[in-house]
Amino acid sequence: MAILLDNNTTVVIQGITGRTGQVAAKLMREYGTRVVAGVTPGKGGQEIEGVPVFNSVYEAKKKFPEINCSAVYVPPFATKDAVIEAVSNGIKLINVITEGVAINDTTQMLRYAKLHGARIVGPDSIGIMCPELCRIGVLGGIKEDADKIYKKGSIGIISRSGGMTNETAWVVRQADLGQSTVVGIGGDYILGTDYEDLLLMFEQDAETKGVVIFGEPGGIYEDKIAELVKQKKFTKPIAAFIAGKFADALPHGMNFGHAGALIENGRGSPAQKIKTLREAGVLIADMHDQLGNLIKGAING
Amino acid sequence: MRLYEYEAKELLKKYGIAVPQFMLVTAADGTSFSSQVIAKIQVLANGRGKAGGIKVCNSSSEATNFIKEKLNSFFLKEKVTSILIEKKENLNHEFYISIAYDTETESPILLLGKEGGVEVEQNRGVVRKAIDPIIGLREWQARDAAVDAGFDSKIIPKVSEFAVKLYNFFITEDCRLVEINPLADTDFGLVAVGALIELDDNAAYKHKERSYPPRVVGIGRELTQRELDVKKANEVDYRGTVSYLELDGDIGFLAAGGGGSMAAMDALMQHGGRPANYAEHSGDPPREKVCALTKAILSKPNLSGLWIVGAIANFTRIDHTMQGMIDAFVEVKPKFPIVVRRSGPYEKEGLQMLKEAAGQYRLDVEVHGSETTMTATAKTIAEKSKKFKETYGNLT
Repeated sequence: MAILLDNNTTVVIQGITGRTGQVAAKLMREYGTRVVAGVTPGKGGQEIEGVPVFNSVYEAKKKFPEINCSAVYVPPFATKDAVIEAVSNGIKLINVITEGVAINDTTQMLRYAKLHGARIVGPDSIGIMCPELCRIGVLGGIKEDADKIYKKGSIGIISRSGGMTNETAWVVRQADLGQSTVVGIGGDYILGTDYEDLLLMFEQDAETKGVVIFGEPGGIYEDKIAELVKQKKFTKPIAAFIAGKFADALPHGMNFGHAGALIENGRGSPAQKIKTLREAGVLIADMHDQLGNLIKGAING
Repeated sequence: MRLYEYEAKELLKKYGIAVPQFMLVTAADGTSFSSQVIAKIQVLANGRGKAGGIKVCNSSSEATNFIKEKLNSFFLKEKVTSILIEKKENLNHEFYISIAYDTETESPILLLGKEGGVEVEQNRGVVRKAIDPIIGLREWQARDAAVDAGFDSKIIPKVSEFAVKLYNFFITEDCRLVEINPLADTDFGLVAVGALIELDDNAAYKHKERSYPPRVVGIGRELTQRELDVKKANEVDYRGTVSYLELDGDIGFLAAGGGGSMAAMDALMQHGGRPANYAEHSGDPPREKVCALTKAILSKPNLSGLWIVGAIANFTRIDHTMQGMIDAFVEVKPKFPIVVRRSGPYEKEGLQMLKEAAGQYRLDVEVHGSETTMTATAKTIAEKSKKFKETYGNLT
């Protein structure tokens, strides 16, 4: 089995008539995802890639009560409402692909989802891929290309960088391993689903033998991995690559002043994240393309 | 986007938050002050106070000298174009208050401390309260924070009222961060003596009335002509983005995507390569934009190599962006080695085009697709650059 998605995953695409929504509908169906409906207010009755369009999630669910997942492709200003609409209609898994959502909107929709027991992956997520089962989003592009990179297997992948998700799955594949579930958690400051949430799911997933992580500078999400491992709440091998080590040699970007220091307690730099993870027993790849062999050695050893 | 302190204070004033009387000085000539003032260098970097950017001036000549000395100099890697002159407040006490976002609770967070000042991050007395983003900050919660932080009963209503006012400001103006440090208790009420504001760029569409000039991260020098050229090329067309930052090394660097360019730069430096620049394109930019970026990279003197690198793309058409790079090669005809690793839609077509151009214009190009990893080609370019320098001399 995989995490997040399964044989029953039935998807509505919110924002299906937009340019990226249309491409997503085509590619998701091509890969085998059960996309039964799309939503765009005012465009009910149309069809996109053979998928019926409804005016609201409520209307879509009346026709297809089995919908249990939403892929959100609406513009940033409409994202909060779209997510709350999905949650209000009982959808428990919402993958927000939209990039550039205002941070206050994000906190409000996450809070609302939490109150109603719904999970949000994103915003700014590249999507979720369960090889040979289905995908939310368009990881890997057209099926023919996706099949070169993604193959059902034993490695879970979590990436903050959308652009590096294929590449990370690819170095795993080059080590003759497949992937159980690949999740783009998004690069925003506030994440609906973080490493910790997914590691707890991967821990329970019998198919997953190890997890590969692509991390970035900033925030404390990577530090929580170390805590989880130390507390033995996650017991399978992890191999991680943290990008941005070179930044110390470059002009400094801005951070968040005293408040940033107070919140993060000095955490956040790649060097510090690597140190914390290493001390907890996480395998660190100095070079990104070592990730595949690192995790391979660990799950076989 | 971070605001300069004078911009922050102008904005706070609109919400009825008291700030000291101030004026902004942008030229050293003809300044004189009648009372004791505080001069504050206007830069965006953190740590301004500790670095000597804030000076209490006891006489007009002391202030004038400070202005003359600091204006147009570089301070914390930023060029100083203005200095804020403030009336010195008679204050009874300094507090600390800020509102920011917290990844742990996925919500706004109130930070409140009884002792403000430059060393506040070492101050263990700062209290944190997560704010429910749907309900917002209520006065009772701010009072609880003030109680936990050890404020005197007498001041608690004033502080909690201020906190709520500040929260409403934070939300209405879509801030990422508002920090008032110090918040001064004066005979005339609470005054925001130090102010730091970071706005949420993703919410800029809600604030069309704003007209803050664009700002750059301090790099300790003026922008170079090449940096200005790329900035301009980026603004001409809204599709995709290109960026370029000049560095000291001799290997041209052209990467795709944010995470990918970070991972690539790490690899290059770990293999001993010295990047001549940090350049990135993302979001499928048009041919002309990529060409302008490539030309800027190639125009830096004494390069010993060029590395073009990207992760496996989902959408970005390799042939389209490659065409822009080829346009630049045809014009410049670089003599140094070029190593390419690109993969994604129309990879075969794009890489074939490049190979043909290389043959026609006798370029030294090594082309890789997905069969080679990004980081493996970092080693290749570092070695080729070294060899080039051994053959033709170290030109930098």
